[in-house]
Amino acid sequence: MTTTAYDTAPPARRSRNLPTAGALQWLTWAVVTGLIVGPFIPLLYASFRDRPLYEAGGVLTAEPYRQLFADSKFWHAALNTLEYAGLTTVMAVTAGAATAILVARTDMPARRSLGRLILLPLLLPSLGVVLGWIVVWGPGGYLTNLFDQRLHIGTLPIDTIPGMALIEAARLLPVAFMTCEASLSRADSSLEDAARSAGARPLKVLRSVTIPMLRPALLNSGTLIFTLAIASLGIPLLLGTARNIQFVSTYLYLQWTNAANPDPATVSAGAMLLLVVATLLLLLRNRLLGAEARYVSVAGRAGRTALLSLRGWRWPLAGAVLLYLIFSTLIPVLGLALMSFVVVLTPLVAPWHLLTWDHWRTLGQGEFLRAIEHSALLALVGGIATTAVVVLATLVAHRSRFALRRTLPFVMLYPRAIPGLIIGIGFFWTYLLTGGAGSWLRGSIWGIALAFSIRNLPFAYVVMYPTMARIGEELDRAGRSVGASWWTTSRRIVLPLLRPAIFASFILMFVEILNDYDPALFLVKPGSEVIGTTMLSSFIQGMVGPVAALAMVQVAVTVVVLAIGARVFKIGVTGGHDA
Amino acid sequence: MPEIHVEGLVKQFGEQRALHDVTFHVAEGELFTLLGPSGCGKSTTLMSIAGFQTPEEGRIAVDSETFFDAARRVSIAAERRNLGMVFQSYAVWPHMTVFENLAFPLKVRKMKRNAVRPRVLEVLELVEMSPYVDRYPHQLSGGQQQRVALARALVYSPSVLLLDEPFSNLDAKLRERARTWVKELQQNLGLTTVFVTHDQDEALSMSDRVAVMSAGEVQQIGTPEEIYRKPSNRFVAEFVGRVNLLSGTVAAWEGGRIALELDGGRKLWIAAERAPVLHAQLTLAVRPEALRLEPADGSTVNGSNTLDADVHSVAFLGDHYQYELESESLALTAQTSRAVAGDRVKVHIPPDACAIVE
Repeated sequence: MTTTAYDTAPPARRSRNLPTAGALQWLTWAVVTGLIVGPFIPLLYASFRDRPLYEAGGVLTAEPYRQLFADSKFWHAALNTLEYAGLTTVMAVTAGAATAILVARTDMPARRSLGRLILLPLLLPSLGVVLGWIVVWGPGGYLTNLFDQRLHIGTLPIDTIPGMALIEAARLLPVAFMTCEASLSRADSSLEDAARSAGARPLKVLRSVTIPMLRPALLNSGTLIFTLAIASLGIPLLLGTARNIQFVSTYLYLQWTNAANPDPATVSAGAMLLLVVATLLLLLRNRLLGAEARYVSVAGRAGRTALLSLRGWRWPLAGAVLLYLIFSTLIPVLGLALMSFVVVLTPLVAPWHLLTWDHWRTLGQGEFLRAIEHSALLALVGGIATTAVVVLATLVAHRSRFALRRTLPFVMLYPRAIPGLIIGIGFFWTYLLTGGAGSWLRGSIWGIALAFSIRNLPFAYVVMYPTMARIGEELDRAGRSVGASWWTTSRRIVLPLLRPAIFASFILMFVEILNDYDPALFLVKPGSEVIGTTMLSSFIQGMVGPVAALAMVQVAVTVVVLAIGARVFKIGVTGGHDA
Repeated sequence: MPEIHVEGLVKQFGEQRALHDVTFHVAEGELFTLLGPSGCGKSTTLMSIAGFQTPEEGRIAVDSETFFDAARRVSIAAERRNLGMVFQSYAVWPHMTVFENLAFPLKVRKMKRNAVRPRVLEVLELVEMSPYVDRYPHQLSGGQQQRVALARALVYSPSVLLLDEPFSNLDAKLRERARTWVKELQQNLGLTTVFVTHDQDEALSMSDRVAVMSAGEVQQIGTPEEIYRKPSNRFVAEFVGRVNLLSGTVAAWEGGRIALELDGGRKLWIAAERAPVLHAQLTLAVRPEALRLEPADGSTVNGSNTLDADVHSVAFLGDHYQYELESESLALTAQTSRAVAGDRVKVHIPPDACAIVE
């Protein structure tokens, strides 16, 4: 009506803000995409050279692939890997889905607490837990001896492919559990109620509604577990190598390090193959996720009675879940704890006759101390840096009009599907080819830090995204409408609301980087050790005691950090829900 | 034949009392509505009838068959109650086609294979969804999904139909059509139906009888007209439609009429069946459309029960005018079909248009 009112208003924002936001968005996109996808270019290049990149000369050739395919050991390893990953997937998905149904849809006692504990194997240091399995159940392990020699009961040999797959499945079961449980709790429970009021008994409802509805979650988690099992290096290396059972991952690792004539070009070719397989599986998984979106409906009502009454099976089934937790986590960790305090762990002599502090004393010196210091530093710095980058990238991906924003979610989730050894080899070649900065990274712990951060970045995104999605877009649209720039709106409106997720993401990154190891196997040098690489090399040298102590340090730090995180994050979450 | 008996339901959610002595009977072929704001216990009541929630006390029976009896520890499983239920989200199973959705209850009842298809098609015909028999739910619109949900609830000829806010996910136009359509279907099939809604228009237009609920208690049960015209308490009056509340003290009682002295000394005569306590405080509820407005100099309404009022604002709402009035600090809302000129008006309150609510 009147123009006078505008005369006193502040001048309209200058358009200078726009290019700044644009530049920041471009920079974020370029850094994230460059660091995640970049290392594969040198890897690809290396796999098509007739000699390693560090040797002068060399021509482009497909010779490395020819050599790889001509090696019967590779094909043998590939078959073993298929068997291993297949068995792992079947076991982990079946057991994980069953547990999820027990927790989400029945009246099993203590189902909520059990449901939370089941996630533990995923968060505890996997290398440490595997070493625990070996100490307790491995050939000559404590309980193996006890059962075989004292009780004359045979145990399942864990140094066979099914045995190794069992350990891997126990480690990856939480992945299937989590996906299925989320799908079950998200699903509209009135779908099941409708079947019941239509006259179906609970078991029939389970068969015809609950489980079919779970199909996308089963396929999705199954694909992820299969990918992770293919990429697994720790269990095959520690248990398979001694029995001369080779897998693709161990084949590549041993070719890289141990062979009399190391052949990095062929290893790179193998890594490329693995990368292609993992990428295809990821694309498949994305399609399945799209299919799953179709199955999502309104959330169910609280306070309803459980679908399935277990009656007499309530306690036995709760016991079975508890038994899984005891076998997969408690016994290995207790075994490690015991191992770290005794000279040798044997059922023949009572442990209190063999007590010693020597293993723990070893941690205070030399390589062990260095590894602990390095890992703590990496986890702290890497955790902060990755969280910061992921916050920015998530903002660009979901809260901007940036042209390439839709590529970011895929790029950020990509490393989850890539075997750690590929990341290791990729960064190795990248550092080699990038001159001064590269050689500095290669010589210090920061090269490992970068690889670890990239490898675990998907976890930060996975924590960040759901919280961001819950923040109504009207909130930042309102910010924009009153004249705030993209960056101001993001900083003043979205970031404060995102605070609990930022904290949770840092906690998770800290733990994951602290416990990671396989990319470092290709990057580590004397003087830049981290806990994981030291544990692995010392264990292979037979220093079981100090390794057990080192693993206990990892477990203890992980548990403490997660406990703090859970406490603080929980407060944050409920605060967010009340709003 | 089917009648529903709900007696003395009590349900506690932790500290909070969700149901408090909920009792009603639904007659055969009747459409009975549970109306109330969210959290009033209407859905909990419906879910208790369906068997998805278990009250702590009370009894639920359809005809002579007891579904639930807390005293005798009887609770029949939801799937054995043979009720048809339409859920708020429709709950059409997304992994089954329309046909499979409808065939499922029949298969569960072990109906012969060659009898299933004709029956499914017959019911789909009834809800005018025959062309969509092989579609998946995600290929249907909200209104179509709702019809499928209803068909699925009818296909096995249940004894009773339960509707849980079935129209709340439809847009306004569609909702009105769906209402008429469901009501017709219900009458044609003569189905005893319990309907849950928070929408008073829905409740008034569809129901044979309505139970207004609040805070886990039934406030009033009656026909839509009784609920609207003679609300038994303040909550019902305010929840169902707009209302003017007038407070005063009883000054006299003669010949079936009460003289109520308003604050400020003005008197209103109102019809009352029972004698009130003299000097007691009363609150009256009067619907805006019951008030009659006249220009300040008009003569048709005069004498008793007429108040002078200032016009605060007038809003034209298409089929009526809405007046916000003020009569000596008493705020009134009135609806008229024709506009009344002037800033000052006379307001006549018919004696039989008032309900005593407190």
